[in-house]
Amino acid sequence: MSDRVMTKADIEAAEHLQHAHVEPKDFISRYIFSIDHKYIGKQFLWAGLLFLLFGGLLAMLIRWQWAFPAQPVPVVGKSLFPQSGGAITPPAYNTLFTMHGLIMVFFAITPLMIGAFGNYTIPLLIGARDMAFPKLNMYSFWTFALSQCLVIASFFVELGSAAAGWTTYPPLSTNVGTPGNGQSLVVLALFVTGVASIMGAVNYITTVIRFRAPGMTWFRMPATVWGLWLTSILNLLFVPVLGSAGILLLFDRHFGTQFFVTGAAGGIGDPILFQHLFWIFGHPEVYILILPVWGFLIDFMSFFARKPAYWYKGSVYAMIAVSVLSAVVYGHHMFVSGMSPLLGQAFMLLTLVISVPAEILFLNWLHTMWKGSIRLTVPMLFALGTVFVFGLGGLTGIYLGTISTDLYLHDTMWVVGHFHLTMASAAFLGSFGALYFWFPKMYGRMTNETLGKVHFWFSVIGVTAVFCGQLLAGYNGQQRRLYDPFQYTYIQHLRDLNKYTSYFAFALGLGQLSFVVNFFYSIFAGKKADKNPWDVGTLEWTECESPPVYHNFDKVPIVLRGPHEYNNPDVLAKTGRDWVGQSEQLPGEEHGLDAIAAE
Amino acid sequence: MKSLHRLLTAVGTASAVLATAGFAFADPIPETTIWGLPRDASAEGHRVDWLIKTTNGFVILLFVVMCVWMALAVVKHNKDHKADYDHGDSKHHIAIAMGVSAVIFFVVDGNLWFNSTIDVNSTFWNHQAVEKDPNAVRIEINAHQWAWDARYAGPDGKFNTKDDVVTLNDVRVPVGSPVLLQLAATDVIHSFYLPNFRIKQDAAPGMVNRMWFKAKDTGEFDIGCTQHCGVHHYKMKAKLTVLEPSAYKAWLEEMSAQKAQAYDEKDRGANWGWEWKQPHDNIDSRGGAAVSEADHDHGDKVAAQNRGAQ
Repeated sequence: MSDRVMTKADIEAAEHLQHAHVEPKDFISRYIFSIDHKYIGKQFLWAGLLFLLFGGLLAMLIRWQWAFPAQPVPVVGKSLFPQSGGAITPPAYNTLFTMHGLIMVFFAITPLMIGAFGNYTIPLLIGARDMAFPKLNMYSFWTFALSQCLVIASFFVELGSAAAGWTTYPPLSTNVGTPGNGQSLVVLALFVTGVASIMGAVNYITTVIRFRAPGMTWFRMPATVWGLWLTSILNLLFVPVLGSAGILLLFDRHFGTQFFVTGAAGGIGDPILFQHLFWIFGHPEVYILILPVWGFLIDFMSFFARKPAYWYKGSVYAMIAVSVLSAVVYGHHMFVSGMSPLLGQAFMLLTLVISVPAEILFLNWLHTMWKGSIRLTVPMLFALGTVFVFGLGGLTGIYLGTISTDLYLHDTMWVVGHFHLTMASAAFLGSFGALYFWFPKMYGRMTNETLGKVHFWFSVIGVTAVFCGQLLAGYNGQQRRLYDPFQYTYIQHLRDLNKYTSYFAFALGLGQLSFVVNFFYSIFAGKKADKNPWDVGTLEWTECESPPVYHNFDKVPIVLRGPHEYNNPDVLAKTGRDWVGQSEQLPGEEHGLDAIAAE
Repeated sequence: MKSLHRLLTAVGTASAVLATAGFAFADPIPETTIWGLPRDASAEGHRVDWLIKTTNGFVILLFVVMCVWMALAVVKHNKDHKADYDHGDSKHHIAIAMGVSAVIFFVVDGNLWFNSTIDVNSTFWNHQAVEKDPNAVRIEINAHQWAWDARYAGPDGKFNTKDDVVTLNDVRVPVGSPVLLQLAATDVIHSFYLPNFRIKQDAAPGMVNRMWFKAKDTGEFDIGCTQHCGVHHYKMKAKLTVLEPSAYKAWLEEMSAQKAQAYDEKDRGANWGWEWKQPHDNIDSRGGAAVSEADHDHGDKVAAQNRGAQ
């Protein structure tokens, strides 16, 4: 944290550590098995977007079923469900919601937010020429691609893909409940994708610790890097727990062990043990999926309000506090599992404590905007939308962290609405904001602003309406995962609610076309981007071309200040600009090079 | 400036109305409207309803404040406004941020924690007190794909005997008496859910879970399953009928007489009951779902039969 003047040794050490790789000339090592973090980031981006589309289409089918239970699906129904005349059957429905959840969490959000933006931005933002372990990075992507292949394969085996819910609770997820090999392939895919996540996490953690440019102290790092770094630590600690649960489950399914099997089918296992393992991973996982977005938000609020990030250290400490707490709150997912009352109450208290750092973050975002000079660019709109939906999602969560209210709301649509507002809507709006923000750097072209705004309004209104509709259904008591909710008397009156929620979902889905058009149009024919189209001071914009050269930086930059110096009066007086680069030497400012030159 | 003033007034009024509306939904709204909780038929459900509605008020207030703050910033502090150069890290600023967070935490989360702790300990998870109540009705529930079996002890007051009353998807209880349930499952995890009573509890193979409730109104109510349990999870529905005590007594006696005639010792599958678990008993009954320790051998036989049948 010291602002000490750089020595020659520092700079030489950085140059030595970060030797520039020679850009490969052959197609395969440049475009397939690439070790370039920027290219791997783009590979993750495409893989994630593809599966986002896949998971989104599954969601559309689920919404069709809730609006028009057991009625033939228009257009695609006949080819997808030929045996039932185009209608979704109960087993097919179980596969739909199971795979929608798993695909979105592990094969869409994770690669987009962590794979794509983690890879693309971390080295650029900290002034590194590549990741610490470029080859491991390449293995991480191809291991991930293998896990996606396993997911796709699971749809083509007898009895179809997994159907035990994304939480995969045994005994339902053992041969007792889901005998097909599809379930095994998906559990294996989770294990394999976990291996990819761990490889990525090791890489990100090491890169941030070892490869920061001279002068890039911890609190001069952009918040984006903090978010991704903390996420990587959580990944490294908790993904192995999911992996172990998955392996034990596969043993139960195929090798006759009985870790989780009990009941009439025999066995002396403990199905609740799986829930503990799943949620020890599963609760940190929801923060794994939101911490990077918090980082984006802290940065974007400052960049586009043209103001320093308000109490930046407080925000970072809050993110650290949430990361630590995330490990000790998972029990609130199991309040009705038969848990010891004492343990339940401990988990309730710890869960509610997470409100404190969350409030600090919200206050800091709002204070950063206040008295700013707000530019409503597309990334900023998405950032504002993210705060809006995350506010809704966070506030609706406290009912679930409290035992007595959870007794009613547990496993109702309230839960579904709540976590879709946080880890789905906030994660996706945040990731899209990040994509619009870094697109010029990634592809050297600007995206279309009008289409971006169309995409924003469809998305923010869509997710708000859909997930508030689900919250309302849950408030009325509607259970989640019902093939036909209207079997029950007490929710008969929710038919219209479910129908209108579905209409909003279809609009949300259609609205994404504006993104698809914008994305492809801009890659090939967008306006050429300047080096620094947003006038911000972080290294990727001030020190790199758009797109950057293969080795990112000709010279490893020497960092002189934090990432959020906007409307600094000193800078205004000296340069006439309201921003200044993190490594920009102002007139009369020393960064140590002069001293080195004198040596 | 005038328009801004008008905007402020409108937003202020709207947020005040919305915030008080949260507190004002005091009475259960009939299930003709989507804007409320389902009818509360439980003597203790009001605890949950009160806490949910109070929290609604706080949550709406906080959300409105956040939205108004963002909207005003976007409108007032737009690109024509000169931005402050303020890192917000002075002691004064930090004290305000910490103070506001602490107040919200102690009021909103504190209210949830305080009331929930009382409700859980005094009521929802206080099975010991209900066990001592001489009027308590005891029912064993065995969940399986995709139905609920219910077992009443019958006149001898002992479970898993000849005079037990066993029903399928049909639970009947007297109004005004506490009802104790012990839940187990045969195959996968299910969850016993009474929306009109604001409670649920998982029924898992290998263990016996507890829950209790007391009906304040007679009538018929849905029993749902809230844990995904396979293909026909959505059809795992049962009926709870709350009867006047005399009608309940008559029903139970009639059923018991019939059951004694129909009892078949050899029908292992039908005799799934267990000796009632006392509060101090270990709830873990692993070694055969829904089978007490005394029937351990029996459980193994059932398991062997089931395996042989596959």
